[in-house]
Amino acid sequence: MKPLRMALTKGRLEKDTVGLLEAAGYDCTAVHEKGRKLILPIGSGEIEVVLAKAADVITYVEHGVCDLGVVGKDTIMENGTSFFEILDLGFGKCRFALASKGGRTASEFFSGHSEKTIATKYPNVARNFFEGKGMDIRIIKIEGSVELAPLLGLADAIVDIVETGSTLRENGLVIVEDNIAPISARLIANIASLKLRKNEIEALAQKMEEERRRSS
Amino acid sequence: MKNYSKITPEGTKDFLFEECLSTRTVSHILSEVFTKRGFHEVLTPGIEFYDVFSNPAAAIPQENMFKLSDLKGRLMVLRPDSTLPIARMAATRLQNEVLPIRLYYNQRVYRSNRGLTGKSNEVMQTGIELLGASGKRADIEIITTAIEALAKCVPDFRIELGHAAFFKSLVKKLPVTENQREDIRGFIESKNYSALNTLLDSLEQTTAVAAIRRLPRLFGGEEVLEEAYGLFDDEDVLRPLEYLKEIYHSLTTFGLGERLMIDLGLVQRNDYYSDIVFSGYVEGSGEPVLIGGRYDRLLDIFGSPMAASGFGINADALAKVMLSRGQIALKRSPDVLVHGDDSFEVKSIKHCESLTQSGLVCENSVCSARETAIEYARKKGIARVDFVSENIETVILD
Repeated sequence: MKPLRMALTKGRLEKDTVGLLEAAGYDCTAVHEKGRKLILPIGSGEIEVVLAKAADVITYVEHGVCDLGVVGKDTIMENGTSFFEILDLGFGKCRFALASKGGRTASEFFSGHSEKTIATKYPNVARNFFEGKGMDIRIIKIEGSVELAPLLGLADAIVDIVETGSTLRENGLVIVEDNIAPISARLIANIASLKLRKNEIEALAQKMEEERRRSS
Repeated sequence: MKNYSKITPEGTKDFLFEECLSTRTVSHILSEVFTKRGFHEVLTPGIEFYDVFSNPAAAIPQENMFKLSDLKGRLMVLRPDSTLPIARMAATRLQNEVLPIRLYYNQRVYRSNRGLTGKSNEVMQTGIELLGASGKRADIEIITTAIEALAKCVPDFRIELGHAAFFKSLVKKLPVTENQREDIRGFIESKNYSALNTLLDSLEQTTAVAAIRRLPRLFGGEEVLEEAYGLFDDEDVLRPLEYLKEIYHSLTTFGLGERLMIDLGLVQRNDYYSDIVFSGYVEGSGEPVLIGGRYDRLLDIFGSPMAASGFGINADALAKVMLSRGQIALKRSPDVLVHGDDSFEVKSIKHCESLTQSGLVCENSVCSARETAIEYARKKGIARVDFVSENIETVILD
């Protein structure tokens, strides 16, 4: 039997997922001692872990070269199309928020006739949010520290992921809308894989869910 | 100006030799299955008016269609789907036919997918439509045709059955807006349990809410049906459930075992499905290779109500799987190279013909001399060369 292949988002989500899998009884030595390897067997070889960047996790799962993936809801909202989202893993929690330079209340921000410019790493999320408000906005995609854009005068506000809000505060930005969407890590599955390997995938998802419940 | 004369547009490709043979093989196998069951082939135009596909029930987002305009400035699209054009054709040109009408098609469809994702924008779609027939006999016919079609190509497929009525009648009972309804459909389709629960949490907790909450998880074997009975108490939902059970049991006689599944959360992207729905999956393809069901209201769009059902197969996806499993073998070199000496050119062609009649593949040599013909045969891996002059000499190369 081919191992189930699971793509993990490199970094913190990878560590949290590995922690969860270990607590659920899977041997993850290969991931701890990975070196430069990108495909790693875990458990007794029934699962193979692949390490990838967040958006690539979705790409690999969509195409079915990975059966499962662990990725943040932020990436799903920005890039997601067709796959099954089967479990909220409960870690990697943060939220999408709208923040601008101080001195304006939310109602002041959303009123007025001049077009607003929004800097963000998440153009689709930003567009959907403002579409819901009936606002036409100009979006500028920024790759690095988005907070810089309003400070430099390029944008009126930013849409970004916020955990504690301390980076925003330190740079004099104020949250206008706090909870555009809550974010946490999700277990996703390829459409065909879930049908073809239902029992294996459901058993694994169930173990992960039980462990998540137990630890929270 | 940059010149694009040497590349093909994104999402399209040239099909060379094995690839071409594999997609043709799939089309051929499927056509034979359909023909033997009394279906007749039709072709619809590659270009259609946008209006054919713009109905909300079609649910093909306009950004996914390739558009152009005709001489009068009317909006046209490259055919993004075969079922709607066939419904249009049946509603207009087949009105006086004896029912039912059995049609099959084998044609390319064009969708403009998001860029740089590796998805094909041009796909060979093969499928059938059974028009003017409803009920169990028709549904069994369609589903078993789908099973036979997949079985002839790749034996380890899975077929999944569902019913559009579960979602439709349950969602009607929810106090939600049109947009929320669409969100819920999307969440169920993508089995997005967490987003679905968040939305449902904000509603009054009724039996319908509890049933919808459970819907995406209701897939698997017969146990799903038993569980479903405990969840639904409504006549609107119990009737389709009873029907689905009946169909499922009839199909178990095919001996598909676990390869026949039930998914009560199966909601197809196209909103036109009204009753039984089904999808087919194959190891090696990340997307369903077959999508079908019953769409009795579809012909209403074109003003000529008629019961209808059918399915479409992504023939390219099946071809790719068959090719990667080594099921498609293409022999590139012929059995014999026939070389005619000067002034025996016609005799050489005649000799080719007589050899092909005995089942051999023959290539006519266009080389200028016997030596170059031998050299060419060695390069191409042709084992036998026949020289044609007054006599015919056969040379076997080692």
